[in-house]
Amino acid sequence: MVGLALMLAVMTEVGLLSPFQGLFLRVSAPFERVLTGIFSPVASVLSDAGELNDLQDENAQLRIENEALRNRITDLEQAEQRVRELEEALGITSGAGEGTREVANIVHRDNSAFTNVVTIDIGANKGLVPGMVVLSSQGTLIGTVTRVVGDLSFVRLITDSRSKVSATVEATGAEGIVQGSPDRTLSLGLAQGEIRVGDTLVTAGLGGNFPRGIPIGEVKEISGTSQDLFKDVTVEPRVRISTVDTVLVDTSFVPQSFLGAE
Amino acid sequence: MKGFLIGIGILLAAMAQVTVAPLFPVAGAVPEFVVLALVLLVAFSSPRPVMIGTPIAALAYGFLSDRAPALLLLGYLPLLPLGYFLEESRVPVNHYLRAAAMMTITGLWLRTLLAFGAMTAGADAAFGVLVTDVLVPGFFLDLALLTVAYIPLRLIGWTGQGMTLERTGYYARL
Repeated sequence: MVGLALMLAVMTEVGLLSPFQGLFLRVSAPFERVLTGIFSPVASVLSDAGELNDLQDENAQLRIENEALRNRITDLEQAEQRVRELEEALGITSGAGEGTREVANIVHRDNSAFTNVVTIDIGANKGLVPGMVVLSSQGTLIGTVTRVVGDLSFVRLITDSRSKVSATVEATGAEGIVQGSPDRTLSLGLAQGEIRVGDTLVTAGLGGNFPRGIPIGEVKEISGTSQDLFKDVTVEPRVRISTVDTVLVDTSFVPQSFLGAE
Repeated sequence: MKGFLIGIGILLAAMAQVTVAPLFPVAGAVPEFVVLALVLLVAFSSPRPVMIGTPIAALAYGFLSDRAPALLLLGYLPLLPLGYFLEESRVPVNHYLRAAAMMTITGLWLRTLLAFGAMTAGADAAFGVLVTDVLVPGFFLDLALLTVAYIPLRLIGWTGQGMTLERTGYYARL
């Protein structure tokens, strides 16, 4: 068995298994959909039953937030209108719009120790390459494409322990590295600068692996003493990543490291 | 026909690992359906199909999750030696406890190995979290899963089989 494992390791390394993997993924996809269709409602009912009080509290909180956000949208729309008028008056044209985004569905997940990877149902057929950024339907950062196999792609979520995203606090410009943890939560490591609970974190764009300004989440908790060089900052993702079914892939952005490899 | 059904069962277990298991997490651990399938195969069939089924399971789960099949194969490796050891060591435990020991020890080994694999790929070396959030919940999850699967099979009349290749006629003592 150990010898077989060594042989498999070599075959994986030289890419001999990739064609079989593509074929297997294609054949197994319908069966996986059936399994997900059967067990998703069961898991949903169990989860909801266990979190009924939390959900009621969250619902009340969301109603308040919803009202505040609606008011904020109104303010922003007015500001946008004002900017447009000023741009017209000064003869300025707006910069480039949003990049091209492809819609994809999550086919299956692999959430085990230290690993949080999902498979999406688009791949080379839509021009996906490793390194592309994956967002929620509302534009929050979800993860990055790590591998493309035929018409499917594997996405490493930001809650995966191996994920590290250079981030900045939108309000104060404080910087740090958002990283996943084994219990699928997010933390802001090496955090420097002024950070408060409720601050919004966005990608910093440093290192060229992510475009600048993609929302990640909010600061949920800050712990540590005044002597600590770096505070322990817990981050609440803006989207409940474990329940996301539909995602967007930003096909207009390919990281510098991957461009260099091509 | 039996071999075909066993193969289908293993493939279904691998598919359940990436579709059903993530829906029922306990802390940082998820049910290990592939290990469960292999343990039940050893317990109610014989170790021989497990020798063929283990690489198939590692390949299938590796393909579906984009993990290294070699690492998964190493993760499932303790199953058969454990079965042999528990049966031959004259430890006074019944068939269920032997299956439970195989399930939990292989589960612990697999999760540790996969965590180490992730750590070498860039994850933080959080050994405390590995123990408290992954291994301890995983142990109880494995035990519960095996109990839920094993007892009904015994109740419908399946009989426990020997867990060594020798007892199933594959290997003759010299």
